[in-house]
Amino acid sequence: MRTYEVFLKPDGRDGFRHVGSIEAANDELALVMARENYVRRAEGSLLWLVDRTQIVIGDEDFLAPNADKPHRHNDGRMVADRRRRLREDRE
Amino acid sequence: MTVLSESASEYLLAFADDEHLMGQRYTEWIGVAPFLEEDLALASIGQDELGHALMLYTIVAGGDDATIDQLALLRDVDDYRSSWLVEANLPSWEHALIRHWLYDAAEELRWELVDESTVPGLADVAERAAQEELYHRRHADALVDALLGIPESAERLQTALTEVLPLALGLFEAVDGEADAVTEGVAKAPFHSQRAVWETRVVQRFTRVDPGQCTAPDQDRRRRRSSDFAPLIARMREVYDLDPSAVW
Repeated sequence: MRTYEVFLKPDGRDGFRHVGSIEAANDELALVMARENYVRRAEGSLLWLVDRTQIVIGDEDFLAPNADKPHRHNDGRMVADRRRRLREDRE
Repeated sequence: MTVLSESASEYLLAFADDEHLMGQRYTEWIGVAPFLEEDLALASIGQDELGHALMLYTIVAGGDDATIDQLALLRDVDDYRSSWLVEANLPSWEHALIRHWLYDAAEELRWELVDESTVPGLADVAERAAQEELYHRRHADALVDALLGIPESAERLQTALTEVLPLALGLFEAVDGEADAVTEGVAKAPFHSQRAVWETRVVQRFTRVDPGQCTAPDQDRRRRRSSDFAPLIARMREVYDLDPSAVW
């Protein structure tokens, strides 16, 4: 059996979102089962199934260092302060 | 609402009865299918078939609710026109899967015969049903395809096929009104005319099978019920019989 991750895209401008997973012997069986188990009430207008073994994973160790870099969260305040100081110096 | 001729009613009732009982047979797998996803898929398919039956009974009944109940649940046993395939109480999951494949392959061809029908509303029902049948066919075929690749499963399917195929041939047996219904434009042709196409598909799918060597049961132009029918309809009427005057 393979495990597939199930993604649905609702009508309109919203993108795909992950809604769960499903086990099946092959792609076609995964599709026919996912349709009735995840989209039976028209929850989406497009369905993606991704074989879990095909997913490229970035794990926590790989991502953690980026959690401690506040300087990348630029809200523009430092630049604004500096411009204000320069303007005041000119005056 | 147009009043249908007797032959048109008879023809559509046979179709409706098959859909009604087949829908019931699918719903019997709720909770006991081999795996959860299949449980839900079969229930959905059964719901579709019950919907087809309701739409056909509605046409025959001229839209009258009491008449629809009467047609679906309260006729005398001899007045039903179901085929023995859908009446059959099958012993196992592989038998049910084989019936699913054979029935839906035939049903797809059956709707094609009425997609330009002169009966008001029937062509629209046929169009909707044909769309739903695409899923039914794909579902049955995906399971059969996967299981035929496993030796033990393939053998079990083969045994079931040998037992179910003769019953399935009975689907094509005409009711008395069919010839007149075709003349009136209810259907393009008798259902029997689709049998060769269906048999070709059966052979392509299962290979080790020869429908020409099988004998369909004698259903007496669908006027005779099999022994499985009475307990089935009794179960279907169980709630109704508790209080026929109840308003739902």
